[in-house]
Amino acid sequence: MAVDTAPAPALVDDRAPARHLKAGITYLVLGALLVVVALTWLGGHSTTVAFDKTLTDVRWDVPTFGVVLALGIACAAAGAWMCVGLPQRRFKSASAAAVAAFVLALLFWAYSQEGTVFRAESILAGALFLSMPYIFGALSGVVCERSGVINIGIEGQFLMGAFTGVLVANITGSIYAGLAGAMIAGSLSTMLLALLATKYQVNQVVVGVILNLLALGFTSFMYDQLKKADGLNDAFSVPVISWGPLADIPVLGPVLFQQKLFVYVGLVMVLVVWFLLYRTRWGLRTRAVGEHPAAADSMGVNVNRLRYWNVVAAGLLAGFGGAWFTLGNSLAFNKNMTAGLGFVALAVMIVGRWNPLGVLAGALIFGFTTQIARDLSAAGSSVPGEFLQMLPYAVTLVVVAGLIGKAKAPAADGVPYNPGDK
Amino acid sequence: MRLELKGLTKKFGSFTADDDIDLVVEPGQIHAVLGENGAGKSTLMNMLYGILTPTSGEILIDGEPVSFSGPGDAIAAGIGMVHQHFKLVGPFSVADNVQLGREHTRGAGVLSARAARKAVLDVSEQYGLRLDPDAVCEDLPVGVQQRVEIVKALSGPKTELLILDEPTAVLTPAEITELLQIMRNLAQAGTSILFISHKLKEVQAVADKITVIRRGKVVAELAPTASESEMASAMVGRAVSLQVDKTPAVPGEPRLEVKDLTVVSDAGVKVLDALELTVNGGEIVGLAGVEGNGQTELARAILGLLKPDSGYIAIDGRDAHGRGPARRIADGLGYIPEDRGRDGLVSEFSVAENIVLNQYKDEPYSKRGVVDSGAVHKRAVDSIAEFDIRTQSPDESASSLSGGNQQKVIIAREFSRPRRFLVAAQPTRGVDVGATEFIHSRLIAERDTGTGVLLISSELDEIYALADRIAVIYNGRIVGEVAPDTPREVIGRLMVGAAGAPATTEPLNTEPLNDEDTDGGDR
Repeated sequence: MAVDTAPAPALVDDRAPARHLKAGITYLVLGALLVVVALTWLGGHSTTVAFDKTLTDVRWDVPTFGVVLALGIACAAAGAWMCVGLPQRRFKSASAAAVAAFVLALLFWAYSQEGTVFRAESILAGALFLSMPYIFGALSGVVCERSGVINIGIEGQFLMGAFTGVLVANITGSIYAGLAGAMIAGSLSTMLLALLATKYQVNQVVVGVILNLLALGFTSFMYDQLKKADGLNDAFSVPVISWGPLADIPVLGPVLFQQKLFVYVGLVMVLVVWFLLYRTRWGLRTRAVGEHPAAADSMGVNVNRLRYWNVVAAGLLAGFGGAWFTLGNSLAFNKNMTAGLGFVALAVMIVGRWNPLGVLAGALIFGFTTQIARDLSAAGSSVPGEFLQMLPYAVTLVVVAGLIGKAKAPAADGVPYNPGDK
Repeated sequence: MRLELKGLTKKFGSFTADDDIDLVVEPGQIHAVLGENGAGKSTLMNMLYGILTPTSGEILIDGEPVSFSGPGDAIAAGIGMVHQHFKLVGPFSVADNVQLGREHTRGAGVLSARAARKAVLDVSEQYGLRLDPDAVCEDLPVGVQQRVEIVKALSGPKTELLILDEPTAVLTPAEITELLQIMRNLAQAGTSILFISHKLKEVQAVADKITVIRRGKVVAELAPTASESEMASAMVGRAVSLQVDKTPAVPGEPRLEVKDLTVVSDAGVKVLDALELTVNGGEIVGLAGVEGNGQTELARAILGLLKPDSGYIAIDGRDAHGRGPARRIADGLGYIPEDRGRDGLVSEFSVAENIVLNQYKDEPYSKRGVVDSGAVHKRAVDSIAEFDIRTQSPDESASSLSGGNQQKVIIAREFSRPRRFLVAAQPTRGVDVGATEFIHSRLIAERDTGTGVLLISSELDEIYALADRIAVIYNGRIVGEVAPDTPREVIGRLMVGAAGAPATTEPLNTEPLNDEDTDGGDR
């Protein structure tokens, strides 16, 4: 037939300049702010960068004024370009540049105060370590939500894992038994969600909220009980794994080759979950069930059984992540010690677009900003500690708004499935 | 495969969806099951495919009784099904959709993309169904998506019976012709086909045997030589007039003027591209076209739900710019949306509430901001009688009504105010023959009172039956305006952009394998 002659659908040319006033003005204002800051406060300041673990005698002093001024101008320029109109396909890279310039400038500004040193190796290594709870929590969320079950009970599973990990380690004297115990505790906690969400089709958000409260109440109560006995809530710690000569490579060594077990398990799990999700039968079925359960059902996949076991398996990951809070940090259990990080992990999952690799990127951003906040607060920064604790979330807000935009959840996320539904 | 159903019955509580159905499909036969919506066709097929368990009766395959506890069993027994609502995972590739549930692995559950791709190519070559295994399903035109469904159904371990549930509902005339040919080829190769439909022409064209069911019972067994009116009256249970009686139109002044209307989608595609259209009072203009060529956006732009990127819309001579939907409705715009479940009804609301949905805040239904339920109820009772809405009571929720009666609720609502111009988008989609007849006669009556009507329909039969003038839309442009006696082939060609449009280079997103097919309208 003569379809070859059919005209193509008319596309808007992505090279034609288009204006983005909202984004443009935002970056323009942020950039201008940096310029003002540089001109009024930063004259004569300098920021010190040190490699504190490998090359202890190297210190770089960078003039803060010049760097912040340059970055501020770059940010404002990107904003101005957007206001004037830039090709559609350049918009993303321009936003990325503007956001990066802004965040980097903040960093230089923050480390320009008297007595603060940007210890690159400690900070990066710490950032990676701090991103672990987000990685485990968000991966657990990915496994649940990719198969169509919303799990907002990650916070509760963290608490259960943190508590049980210490308890089992104390009883058995083995840290590895403690880790296993943490995983099982997390899994038992999700089993209730799995059952209620698939068999009884209870609203998953309600179940998740209740599981969180239940875990908080249970672990707090048990904590009070354990205080009465000796030797049940003592701190245990996971050994640091050092890779010999590799650990002496500048920057890379301390960050990648001298970390605790959790870091290696976390990084491997990112790859494992990615592989399972996109390269295996289980992954294909999981994604199908989360996207269009009726389609999977019509091909003989048992939707609710798959969802059930995925949620239970996700509990293992979240429970392991819970053990990070106690065993990973060499701490005893304390009431509500997870402090809402389970919810942040949910945000990381969404920022990472339900993809393990995205989760890794999101978790690293959170981990890095958290580490900066801690480091500044410890160095006696003049900024109040409470304000610094907001920093990770403020930065994330800028990054998410500027770069990530709308995230699309699996189509059947949170929708119970009845065989025979259309 | 020889399939036999003996006394198959399905009850949902006290409601009997299928009652004692007997049916035999011989090997290599195309057996059509005709019936109105809600007659029990889909329930029957779901039992056959293992999705529902029969209350009583048995299914025999080659003389052996079988029982299915899920679709997996039915697939293993050699049954493949193409569902009315496609069961394709949108973001997946064709190969992944086809292999779902019976994946090609390299052991240990690791997928083999190469084997999956090859399997699709093998089946598509064997049956002459061209497909690109790597295409993402949600980007494919519906006709190709359906081909994916057929390949999926045929890719079972030994598919010998194919169930096609209302397969032509979403296809263009050319695609329908192609599908009917595919069905004939499959039957010739020995595959038995169970063809569910309520479209009489197609059944006549392709079936070897026709079983008509009504209210869950087999009411007639017909030969393909049966006339259309014979089939229709068997389906409905009374004589049905398939012809719409109408007098020639008396067009008046323009009621809708659309000039240079352009709408750009989020993806940067011009879904409406400098569209020009005029509808006069007292005439029905039929907008023919393959779905997804801008009809939805045009209807939404006329109502004011979609802000045009450029162009001019005037309703009843007044520039609609800056007027919201409520204002346009108050000015005399009537709107029958294409997706009544999403845009037409609040399905949890009662029938009465839905009927006054656009007037609840006017007298007499509201007094000083308080709804007068007595007046609403009275109005609902009147409308139910006038529009023959079959409901238990005005307080029944709209979702409990059949599709045809839901549509009558919308029509009752839209036809109860003075109107100057009416947009009717797919007014009889999923509506049975009886209700279609009613809706068509109301649309003609509406035209005769001097209202301008824009009829958007993907059913050419409906356009031919009602329109006084036919405009064909393709890729967001009106590619031709023709008289209602123009032959089908001409309109069919216009609908795929093959005539009347300037010949340009290769279409951007037609996959290379489909160069001989009618997928020009990719969207």
